[in-house]
Amino acid sequence: MSESAIITTNNVNLWYNGKRALESVSIKIPRNKVTALIGPSGCGKSTLLRCFNRLNDLIDHVKITGEITLDDKNIQESGTDVVVLRKKVGMVFQKPNPFPKSIYENVAYGPRVHGVKDKAELDTIVEHSLRHAAIWEEVKDRLDDSALGLSGGQQQRLCIARTLAVEPEVILMDEPCSALDPIATAKIENLIDLLKKDYTVIIVTHNMQQAARVSDYTGFMYLGKLIECGKTVQIFEHPQEELTENYITGRFG
Amino acid sequence: MHVLKKMNGALSTSTGTSRFSFVKERAIKTLFFCTASLAVVVVTFILLFLLRDGYPVFTDVGIIPFLFGDTWAPTAVEPLYGIFPLIVGTLLVTIGAIVFAVPLSIGCAIYVSELASPRVKNVLKPAIELLAGIPSVVYGFFGLIVLTDFIRVSFNIPTGETWLAASILLGIMALPTIISVSEDAISAVPREFKEGSLAIGATRWQTISKVIVPAAISGIAAAIILGIGRAIGETMAVMMVAGNAAVIPDPIWNVLSPIRTLTATLGIEMGEVSVGGEHYSALFGIAVVLLIITLIINLSAVAILRHLKEGQVGRSDRKSFIPASLQEPFKRIVMIILIAGLVLFLFTAAPWYLAVAIVLGAGAWYFGRDRLSGKQIEMISFGFIIAAAVTVVAILVIILGYIIVNGFPALSWDFLTQPPRDLGRAGGIFPAIVGTLYLVAGAILIALPLGVGAAIYLVEYTREGRITRLIRTGVDLLNGTPSIVFGLFGFAFIVLFLSVGVSLLAGQITLALMILPTVIRTTEESLKTIPQTFREGSLALGATRWQTISKVVLPPAVPGIVTGAILCIGRAAGETAPIMFTAVVFSSRFLPTSEFQPVMALPYHLFILATNVPGAATNQYGTALVLLALVVGMYGIAIIIRTHFQKKSLG
Repeated sequence: MSESAIITTNNVNLWYNGKRALESVSIKIPRNKVTALIGPSGCGKSTLLRCFNRLNDLIDHVKITGEITLDDKNIQESGTDVVVLRKKVGMVFQKPNPFPKSIYENVAYGPRVHGVKDKAELDTIVEHSLRHAAIWEEVKDRLDDSALGLSGGQQQRLCIARTLAVEPEVILMDEPCSALDPIATAKIENLIDLLKKDYTVIIVTHNMQQAARVSDYTGFMYLGKLIECGKTVQIFEHPQEELTENYITGRFG
Repeated sequence: MHVLKKMNGALSTSTGTSRFSFVKERAIKTLFFCTASLAVVVVTFILLFLLRDGYPVFTDVGIIPFLFGDTWAPTAVEPLYGIFPLIVGTLLVTIGAIVFAVPLSIGCAIYVSELASPRVKNVLKPAIELLAGIPSVVYGFFGLIVLTDFIRVSFNIPTGETWLAASILLGIMALPTIISVSEDAISAVPREFKEGSLAIGATRWQTISKVIVPAAISGIAAAIILGIGRAIGETMAVMMVAGNAAVIPDPIWNVLSPIRTLTATLGIEMGEVSVGGEHYSALFGIAVVLLIITLIINLSAVAILRHLKEGQVGRSDRKSFIPASLQEPFKRIVMIILIAGLVLFLFTAAPWYLAVAIVLGAGAWYFGRDRLSGKQIEMISFGFIIAAAVTVVAILVIILGYIIVNGFPALSWDFLTQPPRDLGRAGGIFPAIVGTLYLVAGAILIALPLGVGAAIYLVEYTREGRITRLIRTGVDLLNGTPSIVFGLFGFAFIVLFLSVGVSLLAGQITLALMILPTVIRTTEESLKTIPQTFREGSLALGATRWQTISKVVLPPAVPGIVTGAILCIGRAAGETAPIMFTAVVFSSRFLPTSEFQPVMALPYHLFILATNVPGAATNQYGTALVLLALVVGMYGIAIIIRTHFQKKSLG
């Protein structure tokens, strides 16, 4: 990959409870592009994604070796401030997970915890983020309503707005459309396309058409290993590895 | 034709058997229905008998003078029956207990569910349950010997038997309830909320304080209300440390004043009153007031918890009843009132230099907060949370350690096998041990079949409807009834009305009624864990409902039922208030030879030794240790059985 990389992993291994979930993964994630991670269930793609914001720290009995850098700084080092890291690397989850608060409070939550107090400034951030996540028009008249009253697709875009509100550099998306219907999925995919102007997006997906539609680069993972990584067009049209070809042509998984 | 006839034949034989089994099924169902209805019947009876005996005071003295009269002097030449000081006493003691218990228990609950490593958690949770198992008379004993003395010395006052002592002790007793219910509520907050917040870059403390705790707030509220219910209904402990002067503290926030609660009044005076007189009636009037207060509190907690169970977790589509524009000023006013109250409280209760230090610290925190980074605030907050957890553990260790260290020298073969001599100062406690065993054995033999039957009816035979709601409410009410009220009911109904007399039997029945709701609840819970597919599988093979229940549903539910039963035995063994007027005598050289004779019991023996017999120090500690060992042993066994079978069912 010729573009400058924002995240690089070098020989990363990960064990859950002594079971190996990632094996010598080395990947470069290019800046301001959409990178898709594909592969069958349990291949480690979500695990890899959660290494990038150290969310695996929440799970007991996890051991990680190897090097993961963000902007050339090793984030695996014990001195890393995970709070600063997670502010830079936002995440959208598989199941929409708005907090049981109002729509406004959901988006304002991030800026608030990072110290923004001024009401006018918060209002601006909230509106801007909701517009950017293409949901402003749908919710602008009911910002004080509970976020849990929104539809699944709206909730997911709200979660994206919530992530955008803290102005991250990278947005991780863990199968963001798997709980959504096709129309909501289309809206999210369009949104991803808009986002890559300002952000680096890494998306884990089960859906190969989705990977082909939204991503510039694709990595294929299998049994904890990164089998192949490259331009999406190349991976889908001229895969180098037989495993990749088998997967893409639907011969397994 | 031919085929049809054959089928008719087959059908008719099967109708023959099915008619028999139909009758049998109906009979079994009716039987279970009767056991389930018992809870409602008992609640009705309790109310009727309390009202019957309390009625004269409401007519003779009048409701308003009774409730709001400011002097309680039932034995004066001109007796006065105003219970206002007692109501105020109950409320003040409860408020004090909550002020003490809420920060500690919520801190501890947050620690257990969010900060503790799995290993620490596996030790802490059973330890907190053990704290719940310590009998109230043992708490009272500890309070009387250690806590009141500590207060007396540190505030340099003539006696430590004060509102403060009662509140701290009740606060300690409310800890396990509040901790375990709020811990459940916090653990039930979906993981996604936590991950969502952390992924934005919130610190763990921000996540806990702004997302997790708000999402669990109604569960925490229910926990606090249950804790309040426990504090209001407690008799023995509060009676042993509160000083029991029926006065309103002067000034009202003077926590070093002695105080008297409704329950303590019943505990102190019920034994000495002449049956049928005005004073007797006034005591039953007090029981009615007490019952009404606890019923309201417990029903509201139950309503909140049930609301939560119906999947309403955090779903707040309803508008808050305070308009958004007023919320900020409203919060501010509440805060100002709270802070003012705390400052007043501090300056009366604590030495002035401590109060000044705390106020300065709080001020520095309030104004310096914005200068601190998220990380620093997190460190300070976690410091407080860990301190809360450590305090809870320390309380447990101090109480257990104190009683074990002092009680151990008293133990000897003679102590365990000899009857008491010299009013319990010498000799042993053999009759008390046997009496307690008799009491709990009888209680569980009565309560277990009734409770299991009721639970089977509620879980297996009915859908949620008006009748089950009524029965469940009955069970909830019974569960929230203070143990002293059971004592009064046992006295009025079993001892006097049924002319059973003060006897083993009366005590067994009273204790059985008290533990009945717990038996029902734990059995229900273990029946509900049996997957619906088991029942469907059995019914689809043509088994009857009773066959399904007895052969498929009950066997795997047995460990759960046994665990519940053992917890109940532990609780019954430690209770004093229900048996005080129904079953016990202080000293008896002999074991009872029939169900109609009174017995000695460990908790009552300890109570009398601690409060009425000077110079029985060694035997007090020995009795406390034996009682504690018995009860805590039961709880320990129950916890072990439960973890064993939980592990087994996980594979």
